[in-house]
This record gives sequence, structure tokens and C-alpha cells, in this order.
Amino acid sequence: MSVDNMAQQSFLPLTWSDAMYLAPEWILIAFMIVLVVLDLALPRRSGRKVIGWLTLAGLLTSLGFVIGQVLDMNAGTEWPIRLLGDSYRIDAFGSLLKILFLSATALIVLMSIGTVKREDIPDKGEFYYLLLPAVTGAMMMASSGDMITLYVGLELLSITTYVLVGIRKHSVKSAEGAFKYVVTGGISSALLLFGMSYLYGLTGATNLGAIKDALLVQGAAGDIQELLYVSFFLMLAGFGIKIGAAPFHFWAPDVYQGAPTPITAFLAIVSKAAALAVLFRITFNVVFPLSNATDMYLSQDIFLTILVLAAAAMIVGTTSALRQRNAKRLMALSGVANAGYLLVPIGVSFKGLHMQNVGEFMFYLAAYILMNVGAFAVISVVSKATGHEELKGFAGLYYRAPWTAAAMIVFVLSLAGLPVTGGFFGKLFILLGAAQSQAYWIVAIMVVSSVISYYFYFGIIRQMFMRGGGDEAEVDMPATTGVVVWLCAVLTVALGIVPGPVIGWVNEHFSIIRDLFIMSP
Amino acid sequence: METVFTQYAWLIPLFPLAAFILLTSFGRSFKGLGVMVGSAASLASLVLALLVLFERMGEGVEDYQDGFKWLDLSTIQLNIGFEVTNLSALMLVIVTIVSLLVNVYSAGYMKSDERITVFYGYIALFTFSMLGLVLADNMLALYIFWELVGVCSFLLVGFWYQKPEARAAAKKAFIVTRIGDAGLLIAILLLFWYMPNHALDFVNIQNVFNEQTGTIAAGITTLIALLIFVGAVGKSGQFPLHVWLPDAMEGPTPISALIHAATMVAAGVYLVARTFDIFQASQAAMDVVAYVGAFTAIFAATIGVAQNDIKRILAFSTVSQLGYMMMALGLGSLTGGIFHLFTHAFFKALLFLGAGSVIHAVHTQNIHEMGGLGSRMRITAWTFGIGALALSGIPPLSGFWSKDAILNTALHENPVLFGVGVVAAFFTAFYMSRLFFLVFAGRPKGEKQAHDSSWTMTLPLIILAVLAVVTGFVETPWNNTLGTWLSGGTETTHTGGGLVMVISAAVGVLGIYLGWLMYVKGTIARDAVSSRMPWLLRLLERKYYIDELYQVVFVRGLRGLGLLLQAMDDFIIDGIVRCVGGAAVLLGRGGTRLQNGQVQTYGVITLLGLVILIVAIAGRRFW
Repeated sequence: MSVDNMAQQSFLPLTWSDAMYLAPEWILIAFMIVLVVLDLALPRRSGRKVIGWLTLAGLLTSLGFVIGQVLDMNAGTEWPIRLLGDSYRIDAFGSLLKILFLSATALIVLMSIGTVKREDIPDKGEFYYLLLPAVTGAMMMASSGDMITLYVGLELLSITTYVLVGIRKHSVKSAEGAFKYVVTGGISSALLLFGMSYLYGLTGATNLGAIKDALLVQGAAGDIQELLYVSFFLMLAGFGIKIGAAPFHFWAPDVYQGAPTPITAFLAIVSKAAALAVLFRITFNVVFPLSNATDMYLSQDIFLTILVLAAAAMIVGTTSALRQRNAKRLMALSGVANAGYLLVPIGVSFKGLHMQNVGEFMFYLAAYILMNVGAFAVISVVSKATGHEELKGFAGLYYRAPWTAAAMIVFVLSLAGLPVTGGFFGKLFILLGAAQSQAYWIVAIMVVSSVISYYFYFGIIRQMFMRGGGDEAEVDMPATTGVVVWLCAVLTVALGIVPGPVIGWVNEHFSIIRDLFIMSP
Repeated sequence: METVFTQYAWLIPLFPLAAFILLTSFGRSFKGLGVMVGSAASLASLVLALLVLFERMGEGVEDYQDGFKWLDLSTIQLNIGFEVTNLSALMLVIVTIVSLLVNVYSAGYMKSDERITVFYGYIALFTFSMLGLVLADNMLALYIFWELVGVCSFLLVGFWYQKPEARAAAKKAFIVTRIGDAGLLIAILLLFWYMPNHALDFVNIQNVFNEQTGTIAAGITTLIALLIFVGAVGKSGQFPLHVWLPDAMEGPTPISALIHAATMVAAGVYLVARTFDIFQASQAAMDVVAYVGAFTAIFAATIGVAQNDIKRILAFSTVSQLGYMMMALGLGSLTGGIFHLFTHAFFKALLFLGAGSVIHAVHTQNIHEMGGLGSRMRITAWTFGIGALALSGIPPLSGFWSKDAILNTALHENPVLFGVGVVAAFFTAFYMSRLFFLVFAGRPKGEKQAHDSSWTMTLPLIILAVLAVVTGFVETPWNNTLGTWLSGGTETTHTGGGLVMVISAAVGVLGIYLGWLMYVKGTIARDAVSSRMPWLLRLLERKYYIDELYQVVFVRGLRGLGLLLQAMDDFIIDGIVRCVGGAAVLLGRGGTRLQNGQVQTYGVITLLGLVILIVAIAGRRFW
């Protein structure tokens, strides 16, 4: 179906050939339906490991299709695929993110298969297959070019994760975390919808491309600026909650602590990254083009606000973590600081000198996924061995489980941003990008917060090496979790040794004009 | 010519690396693993290195370079790669041969040591680093491996860390060589700054400095060359940074043979040879290299005469011979320097391993407590004798030919340095005959029944003895194979004809004869000189008081400076740091107080944050 017809039709059917492009999403939904039925049919007493493996299979199949699409993208001219009048786009931006989401979720599922026990989580089947709609929601967010699909994806992701956080039914902490997450998530949705409604009211459109066009026309008049400020600030606050940027992050430590560790990892990675992706798409499509309009400070102010949020997240995240004694709360605050780093490529301006914002973003996201999944996997086996999640559980880990301790060192070095790890180059690329855009103050804050963060990251290493084992609990590393830990450790180091090819590959498959900007039909 | 194996030269260092990883991972559980794994890896490297060397002997073989881009930061590109030239191919073979023989030898020498697998792990790591250093195709990669070999040397010198002397020696070795490394690092930074396109690879360096187009100013060229030489001085134990090498003899003897005689200390010479184009572009730098080398050669040789510890004598001999190599390079003879490096690696490793065999048998290192070992340790005595003759420059052993090549060059370029070289050669022959006769001739002193060691220790001695005899023939007055091959046919040695040969052989024989007269025949009293000039003996025994001088000037001086700096650090820097730290803690405490677990508080903060953002950022536009 040609693009020209599409705009004029009031009803846009989804043809079969179009639907084929959605294969990755269909597969996940199909797997979920099958697994729901299977979970019902399986006898109550039998283990639910098979559902875990099937969930993994579904994720990997979907991942295979996405990779196929990305490899196709340089071949034909018909990319990007614009479905339903640009509400759903299959482009490199979305697809590269989908690769990251699906790989991260696959790693999380694999690590859960060994560590999740029925005494802890009564509904193990649900635990696994609810991850499928959650990641589908994240994929919708990455692909959508319209506020409606975007919001539907966001809620699909949010509602399933509310359930997942509270899935340890018999744990008070889990219930408390889930409740807080629902309430904060509700605030976030309210702010977002409120902000979006202003935008719709001002432009009469929900499609990001159409909104941009309308704003460019009306922008000359200049009398809608105040309302636009309100709209964008409301949306920023809404997304700020989802990505856990200060001062909207307070829910994170409580919720991360209450959730089962694999779900904590999922929140820290997929939820955060999906919200960042949407923010990326909106700011670059709607806010950035306004920078050319006369008499409009709006664009530069919004980008400045994003950088301010980033700076606040880095400072608050690292300083609050200094006094933290609980491993998962520490990771939550580390996640706040990392949200700040990931906001920088969105917030620094995009200009002739500096055009690789997306490459920097993707690279750091990949490194962030690897080091976080790995660290959470280690935390889950260590806390299982010691029976609590305090940092002192790591005491003397090197003498009890030297290999696990070695892998943890890799993750901690990467989190702290030291060579030779993916985290180092991720931060370096973002730092160089910010320096090229002459946003030196954010560079300074990045460096200072990194240095402060050494203190608590090295606290973990100190526990592992320099303290005698407080309790001599044997650390039992299930094979599946071990595979995840080592895969993450090796890849983290690999990203640190050969960062060039990875970022080169992203830049090669990604064209900002083709893949991020939504052109008028 | 088509090359087959050269493309795979990058595999050569990887065998020892694999051995290191294997030994570190599983060494604790399998005691006997070290010898097998270490030797197998060295053997694999040696075979591949030999194949590469044979391939390079063919007609018209081009230098081979390959690698990949490691980091591309738009303006700066960092590559990791390897380059095989004739020089590096030769070095690969030297390193792998000595490494293999030392691996075998250590099976006997270190047999009763608790941490033998750790020892083999370190040797493997060292071999990997040294081969990486040789193959590196750019200065940065070379520097990384340069530091790595330094670390391995530190670990191995301090291997018996229970001994306080070993700990002190390891520390000294590390710190003194660091001084040189700092020079090298500055040289690399200067190169990075001044080279077109910030290129650091040897091919580009060669092109830029060879053309003499003035791309890089003459003053800067000299500065870079001298700073590189500072690095080489540190690593190769040249005056005035030679003080660490004799102390490094606290390490196990196989290590002294491998690291502190044959390979790592020669890395300085290799570095100068590798960047020879930079040196050739600056006459001043060449002169400095030549004079420092010549001075070191005679300076260390005279100290060697008055030492009593068998390994220390050999250590000073190494310093002196490295000085010869530097002198040759400084006089413009790449072939002479590398030729001597090549022959020296074998006969000096032989001497150290032989000394190890002696120490193993009599459990002392003082040569005055030994004697008459010749009849009991036949293999050791014979092989050691061959090594000593080679070192003394007696024809037709290898040391004669390489020393002859250097003296020939010196006679043509600078007769003063020729004289220095000849005198140093005399002292060399003298201290070696003193050492040999005191240890192997005369009457036995120890009560212990000394005897030859097991075959694992004698076999490497025999192989090295053969090499010490034959390796000299690759470059003789009637056969310029090595020179043509190394320099592409532009360089000739041995042009002096018979005169130099006669002088060189004569001083060697004279030195040995004098030693024989003093220590066997007794015609000349042993204290003939020392009784008349006791101050001279003391001066030589105390190694010209260089260590004491450094102690006073640098150690004390630095300690004073350190106190001053520490005071500054405590009050000013620390104050600032404490302020920053305090601020961070305060902020964190504030954040924790807001984190009170009440979800309604979180909601309020969220809204407050939103309002503050709007007021602060949007508000300023509308006021």
C-alpha cells in the first residue's frame, strides 16, 4: 500500500504483508497464549521449568526475526516500514533497541531458571510468561511514532511489571513494593497523559510527525509557547518517573528491594530503556525541529531541562548510594545515576559537529545491560546463599567462590567506568559527545559523579577481598545463572577491548534521518 | 615470495599466554602440570618462530604487517597489530629458544619448590610479554608489553619473597627501571604529538625519519631519540641506571638466565635497533648512545674483577656486554649490535645456567668457598668453560666473531672507543678466567660431595654450549650472511681485516693467562694489586660507591622532598578532598532522609520537583 493513499484514508487497514513485519511481536504474543494454556494444563505439582525454557525459546525466536530485519535494512529502499500511518514504524532505531530488550530479557529468563524457587514465588509459570507481554510493550514503545500506540505500549509494560513486582505473594516487602509501584506508576501515567492531551489540544494530532508539522506552522504565531512548556514539562516528569531520574526516583529503591531479583533487573534495564527510547523519539521529532523556529526558546529550554535532570540524577544517585548497605537498593541508586548518563546523549544538542547521539546511547545501553544483568545474577546467587540482600553478604566472597568474585569485579569495574570494560567506553563516548557539543558543565558533573561512585563500587570489592567471610555459607551457582554471569562478563570485557566494531556497526545500520525522524507523508 | 607462516606469527605469543592462563586456573590442583604445559607452549612457539625465520631467509621477503583498528575516535586512531621484520624474526627465535631451555632446566632446579607451578605461570607470562614486545608494530603496543615484562621481572625477582633481600631487590628493579620507562613514555607522547596523523607505528616512523624532509625539527628528533634511549638505559642496565641488575640476582637462577641475561635486558638494545631511524637522524643522539655504551662496558667490566658472588660477576658481565651492544649501535652498526645480542643471549644464558648448576650442587654463591668442581661436575665444567671462552672472545667461538665485528666498526669510526673496547675485553677475559679457575680448578673446599645435576639441567647446558660455538659463523670476515640479511645489504662488518682479529684474540688470551698465573699457578700473588692499592680494591668492591651515592643524593633528598609534599598533601589537597567528600556525604544524607518509605512523600516530591523545574527553567522566560 502506497504511503500517499494512507494519509487520505480515514480507516487504515493492516494488510497481511504489513503484518508480517510485526512477526517479532506476534511471536511473543503467540508464545504467551500457548504458555498460559500450558500452565493451566500442567499438573499443579509438576515443575514450571519447562515454561521458563519455552519463554526463552519465544524470546530467542523473536530476536532472530528482529536481527533478520536489521540485516535487511541496508539492502532495500523500502525501509523504514511505516505501518498504520506512521503509528508503528519498523526502523533501525526501534529494531536495534528491540535487539537489546530481547537479549536482556532472554538473559534475565535464563538466570531465573536456576534461581527462582517455588517457596519464594508460588506462581512460577506466571513469572515467566508475564515477561513476554512486558517486553512486547517495551518493543511497542521503541517502534511507535504515535502518542496512542506509545501509551498503549507503556501501559502494557507497566501493568505487567506491577504484577511481576508483587509476585512474591507471601512477602510483605514484595507487596509493599508492588503497591508503591502501582501508585507511582499511576502518577506517572497521569502526568504523561495530561501532558499529551495539551499537545493534542494544540495541534489536533497524535502522530509525532503531524504534531511537528502543526507546531512549525503555529510556532510562528508564538502565542502557544506557555502551553507547550506545560505540556513538555508534564511529559518529562512522567518519563522521569519511569526512567528513575532524580527527583522522580524515590520509588526505585523500595520497589527494587521488594521485587524478585530477576524482575529488579528487568525494571532496571528494560523499563528504564524503553522510557528513554520514547523520550529520545519525542524530543528529536517534536522538540528538536522547533529549534529553527524564530522567537522560540522552547527547544533549547527542553534540552537544557533534560540535561538538568541528567545532572540531578547523577549527583543524587551517586551521593545517596554512599550510605547504602543493601545490595539491591544500591543497584537501584546506581541505576538512577546511570539514567543520568543515558539522558546525556538525548539532552546534548545535535549538530554538525556531533551526530552520533544514538550510537553513544545504544553503546552505553548495551554495556549497561551486560553489567547490570551480570551484577544482578551474582547478587541473586549470593543473597540466596546468605539468606539476605545486605552488602555484607559479599564478605570474603573471593575465598568462598573466587570465580564468581572475579566476574563481579568485571561488572563493578564496568559500572565504575574503568578500562578495559564496556562501561568505560560507553561513558567515554558519551563524554566525548558532550564535549563536542560544548556542554562542558555536564562533562564535569559526569566526571565528578563517576569519581564519587568509585567509593561505593569499590566497597563491594573491598567486601569480597578484604573481609573474612562473615558466614561461611556455600555459594551455589546453578549452571544457567553461571552461563549468564560468564556471558555477561566476557561480553563486558569484549566491549572494552573492541568497542570500535560495535559502535561502528550501529552507526552503519543507523541513519538519523531515515530511522529517527518521522517525515511528513 | 609467498609467505605462509608469517601471517600467523601473532600466534607465537599466544601459546605462552594460554599456558599462563591454564596454569593460573588449574595450577593449584595439578602440581606436575607446570613443566609440561610451560615447556610445550615454549616448544610450540619455538617451532613456529623457526618456521617464520626460515621463511624470511628467502629472497626478497617483504616485511609483513597486519592488525586491526582498536579504537577510532575520529581524530585519533589506535591500532593493534604485529609486524614481522628480519630483526623481529631473529629476536623471536632467540626468546623462544632460551625460554624453552629455561623451562626444561627449571624442572630440575625448582623441583623442590612449593610454588613451582606459580613459577612456571610467571615464566609463561613473561615469555608472552617478551614475544609481544618483539612483535608489536607500534610504540604504544610496545610500551604496554615493555611494562608487562617489567612486571614479570618484578614478580620473578621477588619470587622468594620470604627473603627480605629478594623483596628489596624486586622493589629496586621495578623503581629504577620505572625511571627509564618514564623517559620512554615521554618519547612516545612527543612522537604522538609531532608525527603526521599521530601515527605511532614503526613503518611510518621509519618513513618520516628516513626521508629527512624536516617534518620533525632536528632538536625534537634528538630529544625523542635521547628519551627513547633513557628507556633503553633503564631496561638494559646501562650506566647510570645499572644498579638494579646485580641486585636482581636475588631471583631464582633460571630467571637470571632468561630475563636478566638473554631477553628482557636486551629489550633496550632491541628498542634502539627498532627505532634506529630516529637515532640515525640525530648525530648527537648517536654519540650519546656510543659513549654511554662504551663507558658502561669498561665500567662494569672493572667492577666484575672484584666481585665474589658468582651471579653478581655474571650480572656485571651482562651490563658490560650490553654496553658493547649499545656502543655498536651508537657507532652506526646495527648488525654489530644485534649480532652480539644474538651470540650473547646463548653464551650468557649458558653461563647463568651453569652457575645455577654449581649453586645447586654446593649451596653457596661465593666463589672463594668453591673449588675443584671440575673433576666432579664434568658436564657443567666443560660447558661453562665453553661459555667463558666465548665471552672472553677466543676464536673460533661465537663471542669472538661478534666482538670482532663491534671492534672493527669502532676502529673505523672512533679509535678512542676502540681502545676502550679492547681494554674492556681484557678485563672480561680476566674476570672470567678468575671465576672459572676459582670454581672449577684447585682443591675442593666444600665438604659436600658435589656432582652433576639431572639430565633436565645438563641437557640445556649442552645445547647452549653447541649454540655458543656455532652461532658466530653466521657473520665472519668471509661470510656476511647476517649483516646482509639484517640491513638489506647496505652494511659490512669485519672490514678491518686481520689486525683487529689479532688484537682482540690476543687481549683475550692475555687476560686468561693472567688469571691462570694468579689463580692456578700462583706466580703472581692474588693480592699483588690489592695489597699495594687497597683503596682500588675497595672502590671496585663497592662498585664505585654508586649505590651509596644514590642513597645520599636521591633517596635522602627525595625523602625530604616527600615530607614537604606530604605536608602540602595533608593540609591543602586533603582539605579540599575532605570538603568535597563531606559535601557528598551531606547530600547523600539529605537524599536518605527524603527516602522515608512513605509513598505520599514521594508523590509530593515528584510534584515539587516538577514545579521547581518549571519555575527555574521556563519561568525565567516569562518574567
